[in-house]
Amino acid sequence: MADALSLLLVPFAASVAFVLIHAYLGVHVLRRNIVFADLALAQLSALGATVAFALGYAPASPAGFGYALLFTAIGAALLTFTRGLSRIMSQEAFVGILYVVATAATILVVDRAPQGAEHVKKILIGNILTVGPPELAKFAALYAAIGLFHWLARKPLLAISNDAEPAGRGRLAVSLWDFMFFLSFGIVVTSSVTTAGVLLVFSFLIVPAVIGSLFSRKIDGVLPIAWGAGILASGAGLAGSYVLDLPTGAAMVAAFALLLVLAGLAGALLFLDAGRRRANWGIAARSAGLLVLMLTFAASLWLILNPAADQPLAALVEAATGIGPAQYLPARERELYADAARDMRRFQAEVDRLNAGERAARYQRAPLSDEEIRRIASYQQSFSEMTRGEGFVQDVLRTKARARERWIFGLPLALAALLGLGLLGRPLWRARPVRL
Amino acid sequence: MTAAAPASAAVRVVATTADLAALAAAIGGDLVEVQTIVPPGSDPEAFEPRPGDLDKVRRADILVRVGLGYDYWLDRLVGQIGDKRLMRGGEAYVDASAGIPLLEIRGQTVVNEGGHAHGVANPHYWLDPENAATVTAGIAEAFVRRAPAQAPGILAKREHFLAALDAALQRWIARLAPFAGVKLIAYHNSWPYFSRRFRLDVLDFVEPKPGVAPSPAHLARLIAEGRRSNVRAILHEPYEPEDSSRLLAQKLGVPFVLLATSVGSVAGVKDYLDLFEHNTAALAKALGAPGE
Repeated sequence: MADALSLLLVPFAASVAFVLIHAYLGVHVLRRNIVFADLALAQLSALGATVAFALGYAPASPAGFGYALLFTAIGAALLTFTRGLSRIMSQEAFVGILYVVATAATILVVDRAPQGAEHVKKILIGNILTVGPPELAKFAALYAAIGLFHWLARKPLLAISNDAEPAGRGRLAVSLWDFMFFLSFGIVVTSSVTTAGVLLVFSFLIVPAVIGSLFSRKIDGVLPIAWGAGILASGAGLAGSYVLDLPTGAAMVAAFALLLVLAGLAGALLFLDAGRRRANWGIAARSAGLLVLMLTFAASLWLILNPAADQPLAALVEAATGIGPAQYLPARERELYADAARDMRRFQAEVDRLNAGERAARYQRAPLSDEEIRRIASYQQSFSEMTRGEGFVQDVLRTKARARERWIFGLPLALAALLGLGLLGRPLWRARPVRL
Repeated sequence: MTAAAPASAAVRVVATTADLAALAAAIGGDLVEVQTIVPPGSDPEAFEPRPGDLDKVRRADILVRVGLGYDYWLDRLVGQIGDKRLMRGGEAYVDASAGIPLLEIRGQTVVNEGGHAHGVANPHYWLDPENAATVTAGIAEAFVRRAPAQAPGILAKREHFLAALDAALQRWIARLAPFAGVKLIAYHNSWPYFSRRFRLDVLDFVEPKPGVAPSPAHLARLIAEGRRSNVRAILHEPYEPEDSSRLLAQKLGVPFVLLATSVGSVAGVKDYLDLFEHNTAALAKALGAPGE
C-alpha cells in the first residue's frame, strides 16, 4: 500500500495541475466550438519534436523544445487564420484537416528516423504514471505563468471566445489576441501531451468544461465545478487503475466519461424544480426498464437462434445462479465436461512445471543439454495440444448445454421481456415528450 | 515469375531481421548480397511491410525468416507474390528456427494471447550464440542448393565464422560468470535464450503482457518482488517506451541497462559478434558497478 501511494501521489498532483489549466482552456475551446484544436496543436508540436529527433537532437534538449515550440507557433498562426475562414467553411473542418496532415507528416518523418516509432507511441499513449517531481515542478511553474497571463488578459480573451465578431474591437487586435490564445494553449498541450498522451489531455480539456457548463452558464460558475469534477475524476481514475489493475491513462479517460454520465443524470434528475424532476425520474425509470427488457429480449432471441455462438445472457445467468452449463447435460456428458476441465488444469500444470524446471536450470544446478531442452519442448507441445483438445471437448459440450438452456430459460425470458415491453412501453408512447 | 539469370554472381539473400541478415553476411562474405526487410532499430514484432518489400522478396534467391510466428507478416507478402520457390518447403525458403532447441513452448499452433503473438515458442533464439550454428546451417544448405559449385567456399567461411564466434563466446561467458544466478527484471520477454547461455535469472517483466503498458498495481508488485528477491538491474529493449523501466530502476535503486535485442538496434552494434560484445559488457558494467 505504501508502494501504491508513493506511485500514485506525484501522478495525482500532476493531474491536479493539468486539470486546473486544461479545464479553464476547455471552457474557451467549448465556447469557440473547436474542441479538436488541442489535438491539432499537440500533433503539430509532436511533428516539431519529431523533426528535431530526426535531425539528431534528443527529445528533452533545448533544440527539441525549440522545434516543438516553433511548430506550435505555426499551428497557432494557422488556427488564428481560421476565424477569417469561419464564414466560408466550418472552423472544425479546418482543425480536423490540420490534425490529420500533422499526424501523417509525423509518420513520414518518423519513418526516416531510426527508433522514432517509440517516440510517436509515447505521444499517443503517454505515461502519466511515470511523471517525476522535477517534471511536476516544471509543469506547476509553466502553468502558473500561463494562468497569470490569462488572468491579466481575461477581458479580451473571454470576449473573443464568446463572440465570433466581438463589438468594439479592431480586426488586428482580435487576430493578435487570438494568436496569443492559441500560442498559450499550444504551449500547455505541448507540455502535457508528452506526459499524459493525447487521449487523456483531451479528457482533461473537454470533459470537466462540459460538466461545468451543464450546471452553469457563467465562467465563475463553470470553473469551480469543472475543476472539482476534473480532480475527482482524476483521483477516481488513478485509484481505479490501481485497484482494478488497469492501464492508467485509459482508466482515467473512462473515469472522466463515467463522471460525465453521472453529472448528466444528476443534472436531469436532481437539480431541477419538483415537477420537472418527477417527470424526468419517470422517464429515466421507464427508459432504463425498456433498455433492460430490450437487451434481455435480444439476448434470449440470440440464444434461441444460435446457441453455439458467444452467449452473453447464458453466461450471465450461469454466473449469477452458479448453475454452469454442465448441469443442463445428462449424467454421462456432465462427467465428460468435468473430466475435460480437470484434465485441462492438470495438463496446464504439467506445462507450467516443465517451464519452471527449465527456467530454474538456466541459472541453478547443471545446465540442461540441447537434447534435454528438446525433450521438454516436445512434452510441452503435447501437453499444450492436449489442453487445447480438452478445451474443444468443453466447447462442444457447452454448445450442447446451451441448446437445452435456450428452452429452459431462453424462451421464458424472451416471452417475459416481450410482455414487459408491451406493458412498459404503452404509457411512454401516449405521454407527451418532456424537455430534459 | 522468377527473375533467372542474375546479373551479378552473388547470391541474393533476403532476411526478415537484421540478425539473420548479419549471420548470412558473416558466412557468405562476398558470395552473397544481403538485404534486410525490417529496418534496424524498429520493432520486428510491430512491423508493417511496404510496397518495396514485395519487390525485395520477389527477387530473393534465399529468403530467411525467424519463424515461430515472429515475422508472420512475411506469409502475406509471399502469398501475394505467389512464387512456390519462396513458400514453406520451397528451395529458396529458410525457416531459421528449424532445429533450434526451443524454450517456453506453447503448442504447435500459433495463438495470440493478448498483445502481440509469442506464438509457438519464445522466438528470441538468436540471442544465444550457440544457436548461430543451426541458423547458419540452414542458410548454407539453401546456398548450396542454389549455387552448388560454390559449396566449398561457403562451408569454409561458415567454419571460420563459427570458430571465431566460439572463441568469443568463451570470453563472454567468462565475463558474466561472476554474476551467475543474478536476479533481473526485463521490459519484454526477450531474454530466455540469452539467460540460458549466460546463466541469468530474469524473474519478471515490466509489461504484464507483450505490448501492454504496466498498470500501477503491476508496478507496485514488481517493486515489492524486486526488493524481496534482490533484483540487481532492469533490462530494457530499444524501441520500447522507457519511462516505466526507468521508474522501476529508480524505485529499486538499481541500474537501467539498455541491451540490444537485434543487430543495429543500439549504436555501435553492427554485426552478430557486436551484439554479444555490447550486451555482455553493458551487463557486466551495470552489475559490477560500485555502490550497488
